[in-house]
Amino acid sequence: MRKPILFAALLLALSSARADSAASHENALKALAAKDYTTALSEFETALASDPDNIEYGSEYRQAVIQATAYDRCIKFFEKLVADNPKSSNAELNFGFAYVDKIPASGTITQVILANTALTHFSKAIELKPSWIGYYTRGNSYLFWPKIFGRTPLGVADLEQAMKLQKQDNKKIYHVRAYVSLGDAYWKLDDLSRARETWTEGLALFPDNPQLKNRLSKEGDDLKNYIEDALDPNKRVDTNLREIWTDK
Amino acid sequence: MKDARHGIVRSILLSSLLVTGAFASAGIEPIGRGFEDLTLKAGLIHKHSNRVFKNPYAHIMAGYTALGAAVAVGDYNRDGFEDLFMTDSKEDGRNHLYRNNGDLTFTDVAVEAGVAIGNDAQDASADALWFDYNNDGWLDLLVVRFGHNQLFKNLCNGKFADVTKESGIDRYMNAITAVAFDYDHDGYVDLFVGSYFQPINIFNPDTPRFFPESFETANNGGGVIVFHNNRDGSFTDVSEKVGIKLSGWTLDLGHGDANNDGWDDLYVACDFGTDHFFMNNCDGTFKDITSSAIGLDSKKGMNVDWGDYDNDGLLDIYVTNITDDYMREGNFLWHNNGNMTFSDVARETGTYSTGWGWAAKFLDYDNDGWLDLYVVNGWVSGSDESYVPDIFAMVTRPNVDFADARNWPPMGNKSLSGYEKKRLFHNERGQIFKDEAPRYGLDSVRDGRGIGVADFDNDGREDLVVSNANSAPFFYHNLLPAGPDGPHWVELVLEGTRSNRFGVGAQVRFTVAGKTYLRFVNGGNGFASQSSTRIHLGIADRKVVERTEIRWPSGATQVFENLGADRIYKIVEGNPKPAHFSAKATK
Repeated sequence: MRKPILFAALLLALSSARADSAASHENALKALAAKDYTTALSEFETALASDPDNIEYGSEYRQAVIQATAYDRCIKFFEKLVADNPKSSNAELNFGFAYVDKIPASGTITQVILANTALTHFSKAIELKPSWIGYYTRGNSYLFWPKIFGRTPLGVADLEQAMKLQKQDNKKIYHVRAYVSLGDAYWKLDDLSRARETWTEGLALFPDNPQLKNRLSKEGDDLKNYIEDALDPNKRVDTNLREIWTDK
Repeated sequence: MKDARHGIVRSILLSSLLVTGAFASAGIEPIGRGFEDLTLKAGLIHKHSNRVFKNPYAHIMAGYTALGAAVAVGDYNRDGFEDLFMTDSKEDGRNHLYRNNGDLTFTDVAVEAGVAIGNDAQDASADALWFDYNNDGWLDLLVVRFGHNQLFKNLCNGKFADVTKESGIDRYMNAITAVAFDYDHDGYVDLFVGSYFQPINIFNPDTPRFFPESFETANNGGGVIVFHNNRDGSFTDVSEKVGIKLSGWTLDLGHGDANNDGWDDLYVACDFGTDHFFMNNCDGTFKDITSSAIGLDSKKGMNVDWGDYDNDGLLDIYVTNITDDYMREGNFLWHNNGNMTFSDVARETGTYSTGWGWAAKFLDYDNDGWLDLYVVNGWVSGSDESYVPDIFAMVTRPNVDFADARNWPPMGNKSLSGYEKKRLFHNERGQIFKDEAPRYGLDSVRDGRGIGVADFDNDGREDLVVSNANSAPFFYHNLLPAGPDGPHWVELVLEGTRSNRFGVGAQVRFTVAGKTYLRFVNGGNGFASQSSTRIHLGIADRKVVERTEIRWPSGATQVFENLGADRIYKIVEGNPKPAHFSAKATK
């Protein structure tokens, strides 16, 4: 008799935490709309503390952090969050992104340190729960490293894995990203024909995608400049993950 | 017989120039005939060698001290031809005073002149600067060194005397750059010296913690020392008094008048941390306005040169940084906004990416009236193996103490941003720059350091001397069309009377066909190099400069009307008649 009562109590506590978390999330969004970053960040942190694996909360929190340029606070927060929730893959993923978000605001050497640390957390996220977003994110991150570091083949491996996963899944709007990045990875390995093949395959599925169209319309130095511009660490990468939860 | 032979050679050369000129006037440009490499013919035969250290950190230091190949231009013997001083850095390496023979050849007279010995076990030459410290009209020589700098007084007879000790500048400093200008308008140029390492003896360091503490915000470097010229042959350190107190890893200093108030301001380029901008308060002090003028940066500033690239009457600034696959800092082309703020337009103008940049100089190599840019680059050109992974392995190691030299990986024979091609940016009417280096054969891949720009044969065309680390220099003679068939030019040799004798800091505004061009005399701007103090203006197809206004550092202004083209004028402050400069090349 005692066990069912305990179970019910646990369920009740969980649903209450979720409700609290949702309320904090709502408050955070309202504060953000009012550009009250102090409140917004605190509310997001409260929401995430109750629901650490919530990819939406984590992503929105980071976007608010970018607006508030509070990168170090965000890193510190995720550091504690993953320590308190060592099994949370999405918390690790967002932790990695917290470092990525700081890159454009940093000097060139700090950029390397941040990118390297981000990779550690992306790997941890995959280790905890292999997923399309995990492989795509880490694979794409490898592409930002100069060739000399030999990380492009690692990027290809991750992006091929992401491609494999998405081919087993229903078509999602964000799957186009893997076609773009995997093609870029092949290009970076000087395998232009495979790159074009990948972009072409992607364009067949996503015929309006401008990134694929642009790549396929360029050659030689034009293409090089276009891809290098896309992989310029000084430019902010869009790390908003909203497509993940809007296209389930 | 000799003269007759020269005459024949001259006729042949003249014919070829006329043919070249005819091509130019017909709109057909002479491909590959823009510059000729005359290095060996000119007698610039001595190769620079990097210093090899002999201490417990030598194998690590070797990768970070590929420096010291400098070139300084100045007419030390007042014969009307620009001479050269070039440094070596190895322990027994002699420095070279190349006297211009007036026929595009040079003779190394450093030993006879008494300025050859600039390297020993405790000192390594890093830069050189001609400046007239005693205001007698003869250029004296500062050899900038890791160790103790040397000041040589020009004895006006082809010889120099070492006056370092009595001058008051003798102290241990790992100096790497110097400029001289009259910041307080007392009629004598003052000396600004920038140092790279802090003042510890790097030949025998007593601590391993003398490397930069950070890659982006290091403040454990050598900073800047300001020596006020006491006008009696001595100097006093007034750094703190004038408001310049820095401890960054200085690589270059550049002065210029940013707000046209007649008082020169100072830009400090630093490695491993932010550059600095000091506004001259016009009262013998400076104000650090870095934040508002240029903002804080975390790049690796290597070079400062000032010039009005867009002919808007305001001096702009070009600073090289590191731009490579692994580090995309990008250079700064600071466009002067006219309100003591600058905007970086390097990306927009195509001058952003020049590899691991070193010296960069404004010049007008084709006499079209727009300042072009020549940029040298390349850190260490070694084997096929790259040093990049080694350095980043250190960088990404947790809690590494960068200041400790022992944590830095030895470079060995590996390359780091090596074999980079030099750039000659042609200014396309102040909007964008186009690289013309390959076209003119100026795209060497040696590890360039300094650039001396001067008209060595007084023919109205700016020539180039490039110093290269661990390698021989280049002497590029400019053969582009210029002169009677155009493009035309004028050059001014200024002599101050109330102002300092070489007119350093003087601004010249030329009005040609209703448009005004600003040029100024600088006292040593540019990394590891000093260009001519002679004012040069290309005026394209115009044959007269309608108005020439000189604003002297003393505050005096002189105006000259209708100066004819294709001539060198000597202008003495206060004298209303410009004199024709008579020195002509014999070839």
